[in-house]
Amino acid sequence: MKRLVIYPERCNGCLTCTLACSAAHSLAKDILGAMLEKVPSRIKIVPVEGTPVPVKCGHCEEPACVDACMAGAMQRDPVTGIVTNEGNEQRCVGCWMCIMACPYGVISPNYKEPKMAVKCDGCRSRQEGPACVEACHNRALLLEEIEEIGFSRQVNAGKRNKEKAQAV
Amino acid sequence: MRHVIIGNSAAGVSAAETIRRISPESSITIISEEDYPAYSRCLLPDFLAGDIGGESLTIRSSNFYSKNSIETRLGKKATALDTDKRQVVLENGESVPYDRLLIATGSVTTFPPLEGIGLPGVFGLRTLGDARKILKAAGAARRVVVVGAGLVGLEAAYALYRRGLEVTVVEKASRIVPQQFDPTASKVLMKDMESEGIRIILNTGIKGIVGRPLWERLFGRKGKGVVLEDGSKLKGELVLVATGARPNTDLVKGTGVRVNRGIVVDDYMQTSVPEIYAAGDVAETVDPVTGQPSLTPIWPNAMVQGRNAGYNMAGCPRKYSALIGMQNAVEFREVPAIAAGVTLADPGEYEILTEYRPDQNIYKKLVIKDNVLKGIILVGDISGAGILCALIRKKSDISSFKHFLLLERFGYGHFLKKAVGGYNA
Repeated sequence: MKRLVIYPERCNGCLTCTLACSAAHSLAKDILGAMLEKVPSRIKIVPVEGTPVPVKCGHCEEPACVDACMAGAMQRDPVTGIVTNEGNEQRCVGCWMCIMACPYGVISPNYKEPKMAVKCDGCRSRQEGPACVEACHNRALLLEEIEEIGFSRQVNAGKRNKEKAQAV
Repeated sequence: MRHVIIGNSAAGVSAAETIRRISPESSITIISEEDYPAYSRCLLPDFLAGDIGGESLTIRSSNFYSKNSIETRLGKKATALDTDKRQVVLENGESVPYDRLLIATGSVTTFPPLEGIGLPGVFGLRTLGDARKILKAAGAARRVVVVGAGLVGLEAAYALYRRGLEVTVVEKASRIVPQQFDPTASKVLMKDMESEGIRIILNTGIKGIVGRPLWERLFGRKGKGVVLEDGSKLKGELVLVATGARPNTDLVKGTGVRVNRGIVVDDYMQTSVPEIYAAGDVAETVDPVTGQPSLTPIWPNAMVQGRNAGYNMAGCPRKYSALIGMQNAVEFREVPAIAAGVTLADPGEYEILTEYRPDQNIYKKLVIKDNVLKGIILVGDISGAGILCALIRKKSDISSFKHFLLLERFGYGHFLKKAVGGYNA
């Protein structure tokens, strides 16, 4: 199954993904409209020691936000695996329990009407797929087969950390 | 395999859907004294305020029970538990036999032993039934006195205020939400509520609740309301008691199920009686922050405990990886706030880092011991709260980045970069 993989080493902090995300979730569906409507981006670029690191909801298999949602609005689609509090029968009331629960800090409070928690919804209603992936020209955000790529990334990360430890 | 679950809220529902996922064949029965499909008590203040209707309180779809082949006995209170015959007896005399039983009966409101506590116009707020009664009485009321400035009291106060009532909250402690927030945080939240027009009286207990006849005798004038400890009087047509709740353990009295403050369970959510489990507000588990047995009446804790009970009941042993015992997120008016873990800490025993920007209503506090995060208070800016909670739960060594945690730019990227093995941009 294809999942979004982040390659932070390829990110140059251009923030195009955040603009594309806002645009995709705006009524106007363009960047200017998103800025005028003040639509928040669901992907964040975190500055770490001077380098940009993209951070976004990973749609966990056993999401802490779903457990925390006391309105029953945050749900995981068993077919697509997408976790979202939008478009479900139960409505988010903006209680912020999910923000307290998410260990990756990828959910944000939105105070504009309607007051609700905002996070990546996998662009599930977007025909072309995730807007951030489409926008990134540095290939820092890719849709890849998680079974193939996940394992090799773990192995490579382990190797790099081992080398660093030995070099010290 | 006959699974019987007493309780139709977070823990009960979570257990039921877990069992059904693992075991398509077994029978599942949910018993509840309330006659509604599973709903969220946490949403009752929103219902009181008029933001949502009663039908929007449900936490699952209307076909949840039929879709999952869950039998129900709703509106029928479980009155006795026979552990020898392995059956639950309901108030209508019906016996429900079980192979595995989950007690998820939640909490009940504790009413202090005050004069007049049983008078009409005095309510707790725990169930949809309570909320409906309050709304009915609120129609003819102008003033409400809320006893207790805890989370329930303040949520209810704000909700009734938005309905148009004049609200006075009376609290015995010297600050609001005294169990979760420290004086600085409480002050920020209190000013936010007071600027709305809600009156809060601190350092004062209630002596008694007084109905019309006694009020006239005592004071020589017509009225009704409460009398405070210092003898002064507060008029009010409606009194909402929000001084606390206790685990609903009455059902297991006289059985072999061991109760401390709540029903004691092991790592597999099993009680002292084999094949009887407990989860949610009624259960007592070990708080990972304090290492002590605790009640953790928090919604996510109930959901996760229910899921773990479900796994174990369905024959898949799974240890409960405990959530932080005390963790709350609130926003009474405009200022969001989160408190988790050990928030009230002696500076002699803990390392405390704070940041306070009163003009922006921002207050952040980290409680640290031996370079492990033990508790947090975030007021005004709650972004990234979950990362801090994860650091508490994992008991991570934060010595290399503890001052970084209070900064606005702190985020998960710090850890993701490390996990990827670092890199040169």
